[in-house]
Amino acid sequence: MAEFSWDIRSPLDRALVAGPYGARGEDGVTLIEIRNFDLVQVMTRRGAAGEMAKAAQARFGVAAPETPKAVSAGDATLIWSGPDQFLVLSKGGRHTMEALAPVFAGSASLSDQSHARALISVSGDKARAMLAKLSSIDLHPDVFGVGAAAATSMDHTSVTLWRGKDRNAQAVFNVLVFATFAESLWHTMLDSAAEYGVTISHSEDLV
Amino acid sequence: MRIVCPFCGERELGEFTYLGDAKPQRPAADAGEDAIYDYVYLRDNIAGPMSEHWYHGGGCRAWLKVTRNTLTHEISSVEPAAGAGAAKVGA
Ligand SMILES: [Zn+2]
Repeated sequence: MAEFSWDIRSPLDRALVAGPYGARGEDGVTLIEIRNFDLVQVMTRRGAAGEMAKAAQARFGVAAPETPKAVSAGDATLIWSGPDQFLVLSKGGRHTMEALAPVFAGSASLSDQSHARALISVSGDKARAMLAKLSSIDLHPDVFGVGAAAATSMDHTSVTLWRGKDRNAQAVFNVLVFATFAESLWHTMLDSAAEYGVTISHSEDLV
Repeated sequence: MRIVCPFCGERELGEFTYLGDAKPQRPAADAGEDAIYDYVYLRDNIAGPMSEHWYHGGGCRAWLKVTRNTLTHEISSVEPAAGAGAAKVGA
């Protein structure tokens, strides 16, 4: 009988080549793929908004987002993903399906998305210029501040986009994309960023 | 054309898909053949404000009811279709 061994690999394992890319001597855009995260979709049940809100507040110490925004909850980020739904993004197994199922029993349905999405963090001087070619969302700092989020499309691909905490005094834009579309969007991002010079890496740390 | 999604805000047309007339209501099971035929096949060809179903599939994935003037594309109202945002509806 054949033996199978299942390797957990990033959907960008093949496409991502760490190092510089595009215009030489420039460092306009930084692309970091973040690997091995826990991601759970929470979908509130009909008529259970109040009960779900209480459960989320008790678990995370912050209110679950009811409008497009990302809320930082210490060891998790709660990201709005549509009416009555949000994503719980975390590391280290503290907020997995198994951990959250009893918390939301009766008030929400959960779906494990940990290996269904790729997470790409975009930063750098030219991050907005590069994203403007792919997105119709206004990313001006006056409009899209830290914690702003959008369920939107980039290059005809559904993504969850939000602005994380600034890194080195620069804005950080996080993009969650379906795993099967990740490679396609990655190449589109590289094309878009090439003229500004790109620094590519992957990381195990959520930012 | 842009549509102001009640959940997401103003978005470009490319994020939405069109279903069609939002007016027809499924007749009762005993309403008769003519009523079913009308519901399934017959549509008004409206020149002016029309109630339509649109899907925000490239965004929040909610169904919306949009009132659009078919002559000018002017949109006078957008509201969630039945079921969208149902968590706040009384259990
Ligand atoms: Zn929407």
